[in-house]
Amino acid sequence: MRAIALLALYLTFLIPLANAQLAPQAPTVEIMDDPSENWFIAMSWGHGAYIYDATTGEMQGLLSTSRQTPAVQPNPARKEFYAAESYYSRETHGDRTDLLTIYDFENLSPIAEVEIPNKIAILPFRTYIQLLSDGRHVGIFNMTPAASVSIVDIVDRSLAGEISTPGCALIMAVGNNDFLMICGDGTMQLVQLDDEGSESNRERSRKFFSVEDDPVFDHPVPFNGGWLLVSHLGDVFHVTVDRNTIHISDAWSMISEEDAEENWRPGGFQLKSVHEGTGLLYILVHQGGEYTHQDPGTEVWVFNLAAQRRIARIELEVETSNIMVTQEFEPKLIVSDDEGGLHIYDALKLSLDRTINDPGPGPFSMQDL
Amino acid sequence: MKPSELIEHGYVWLDSRTTESARLLARLISRRSFLGRLGALFAGAAVLPLLPVARSLAQEAPQEIGDSQSCDYWRYCALGGTLCACCGGTVTSCPPGAELSPITWVGTCHNPADDRDYLISYNDCCGKAVCRRCSCHGSEREKPVYFPSKANNILWCFGTKAHTYHCTVAGILGEAAGLGS
Repeated sequence: MRAIALLALYLTFLIPLANAQLAPQAPTVEIMDDPSENWFIAMSWGHGAYIYDATTGEMQGLLSTSRQTPAVQPNPARKEFYAAESYYSRETHGDRTDLLTIYDFENLSPIAEVEIPNKIAILPFRTYIQLLSDGRHVGIFNMTPAASVSIVDIVDRSLAGEISTPGCALIMAVGNNDFLMICGDGTMQLVQLDDEGSESNRERSRKFFSVEDDPVFDHPVPFNGGWLLVSHLGDVFHVTVDRNTIHISDAWSMISEEDAEENWRPGGFQLKSVHEGTGLLYILVHQGGEYTHQDPGTEVWVFNLAAQRRIARIELEVETSNIMVTQEFEPKLIVSDDEGGLHIYDALKLSLDRTINDPGPGPFSMQDL
Repeated sequence: MKPSELIEHGYVWLDSRTTESARLLARLISRRSFLGRLGALFAGAAVLPLLPVARSLAQEAPQEIGDSQSCDYWRYCALGGTLCACCGGTVTSCPPGAELSPITWVGTCHNPADDRDYLISYNDCCGKAVCRRCSCHGSEREKPVYFPSKANNILWCFGTKAHTYHCTVAGILGEAAGLGS
């Protein structure tokens, strides 16, 4: 009886007192801060784009794109992301609708969409989508398997047209609203657009590599106004455009005779990245024979591009297929290992800053914001 | 002789040869038997395996060793994807309900059982969610995406109702020496 009386007393006085001290929490929704140069996107195939701060290792938000979206195109000037997406009316089957979906930076929410030809290449390559230099047109690489490029006007939110590009793949934006493509005959193709996003001219470079003997990797990276290409055996090319002319630099080899004797060669998937400010190339390498170009890297080698010389090498604890370096003044090297780990190195001191705990469904391909 | 005369002379020679041949043909066969033989020729052409793919079907299947549910299986030397053999299908058949893509990439693989090279067709099975079992990364003679017929990073669900990727099968097209790789 006494216990019941005490319980009644407790219920009468103490609980309301506790409630009075702790105000009820109303859940809210975050607004994403403006991205910094140290932010990066860890793109998870089929699971969206995880946005991270490389300095803190904190996740900032998720872009939930279609399962068929391998990369997104940020546009900081308009605070928008562009994602080429492919949807089926019944998730894995049914009617197909391809879209260029426009997401805002603040809420990572879709704010507009443009229907595009149902042809987008489901290729896990960053350069299957590109914002062109006028900031108005986005190119999306198509494959049916015939190759073409859809051009979308992201200001008018409309399809500007489709350009047939037989024998050539990927989109590498250069100046004057033009873009380069790599072609199966060992050349580069320049496609030039007018102000409306229609093709005005196209040019072809000299043949500079052999697809049979030593093809260039299909993961070009931007560098110094052009694009850097590396061949399976380690030849490095810099491709630039001057008006209607494609310039291919003389090749230099990142593999010395001694390295070659030890069977070192580049390999992986997103195997290289360049920090523009310092002119440093970071590239995954492994020891292996012919046809091991997709094998994961066991080391990252760092090259000074101006001197064409290796300046450092980093041993990796876990084999890795994807790396990226951020473009800030003190850059970070992001390593997505093949076991799903996501690691952040100081890209100049070459020391491990942190490993992100439970980073999401990796391995990831990474990209800048 | 002027060029015009030369041409005229040529026509006369051609005419006479054609006439002679036609007369010889008419002497040897009746019109009805000619049409009959011509018909048989066309019918035979339809049956004859003209394409390398069809020709390979006529060949005897090679001896094989290994586990078709393992990435090390010899046919998977250039296969990038997941194995249908692990997902309810076989090395050459899609799992139930999947749609076989008619468009493929090809690889050249060495069969350790008979020490010969074979051209392998990798067909994707499509229209279902990806089967996340037995993921393989074979890259022998594999080429980048700008050379699509030998690129294994492309999802080859082309020519199917839905382009969603499920898994991949590996069929033998024929001996590489006979078909070229």
